[in-house]
Amino acid sequence: MESMETIYPVLERLLQEGEVVALATVVATKGSVPRGVGTKMIIHPLGQHVGTIGGGCGEAEVIRAGLDVIQTGQPALVRVDLTEEISMQALGVCGGIMDVFIARWPA
Amino acid sequence: MSSLALLRVLNETLEQGETAALVTVIRSPAPEQVGARALVRPGQPPLGTLGLGEREAEVLAAAENALAEGRPRLLRYPAWELEVFVDVQARPPELIIVGAGHIAVPLCEIGALCGFRVTVIDDRPQYAHPGRFPKAARVIAADIRRTVRELPMDANTFVVLVTRGHSLDVECLLEILDRPLAYIGMIGSRRRVSAVFTLLEREQGIPRAKLERVYAPIGLPIGAETPAEIAVAIMAEIINVRRGGQAVSLAAERRRTSRT
Repeated sequence: MESMETIYPVLERLLQEGEVVALATVVATKGSVPRGVGTKMIIHPLGQHVGTIGGGCGEAEVIRAGLDVIQTGQPALVRVDLTEEISMQALGVCGGIMDVFIARWPA
Repeated sequence: MSSLALLRVLNETLEQGETAALVTVIRSPAPEQVGARALVRPGQPPLGTLGLGEREAEVLAAAENALAEGRPRLLRYPAWELEVFVDVQARPPELIIVGAGHIAVPLCEIGALCGFRVTVIDDRPQYAHPGRFPKAARVIAADIRRTVRELPMDANTFVVLVTRGHSLDVECLLEILDRPLAYIGMIGSRRRVSAVFTLLEREQGIPRAKLERVYAPIGLPIGAETPAEIAVAIMAEIINVRRGGQAVSLAAERRRTSRT
């Protein structure tokens, strides 16, 4: 999937304004997932996130990890598993796995 | 090189309509390498460093290959326990609107919204000015036909002919008919278009097959009337062509009847 809606100009503006954020990038996928490789999302310390890697609980997990990355500066590779328990309780489940790399900007 | 400096070069490169890839080490036995980033661009030396020492050149060469293919890719080196993500930023599609009249204004907005790099051309400076097209990447006020002839276009380019006069549309059409473009659409009523194409075939000897690729009448049949609605119909047709959608263009009927 192409990443046409480029997030990098937004990232540049945030850095310019002195913000410290995390950039989450989908680097690998397996099975049925909401967004393709190259999809990106900016995680903002005050919750003003930009973009989406698909929403739902997978995204909540990535946001939590992103907030840690902003704190520690330590990049993280997070596996979002959307395969478990396709049930009435978890309707957001797509059935696949996404590997998401999260890094702090500026490093 | 600082994060911000790298980003600036990346965005400038994309702004100029070029491709670029941000290369990031995402897994390595050496923790200080994880998160290191570099920028690769076609025909230019890499910027920044991944800190991979003697492996750096091989990894960046692989990143340049991924860039040439135009798709993001995860490079895996199991022997080195190394993984590098190449975030290829493809060139955005180009939308060239020939004619800066009523339809061009909403079309420029919608095109930009859909991620196209929009160019507007007209020879009337009072129409072709940036204030009228705030979302355009370029607004060119110059001789229309000559500009269309000289502007670089390729298989990533979508051209919409909506000038003030039908004969001017046709002149521009003849300038670009032989180029390998993604899309050519031309405004005009069913009757007018079919009469013009018959004339082009008979009097200028332009093969029917060549004219078949032209989307005229332009747009998907959604009953559009206002300039904004027509712009939506045109953009919907362009998306349909680009994504290989299932919608049937107005021009399909012309193509069908012209074959019988």
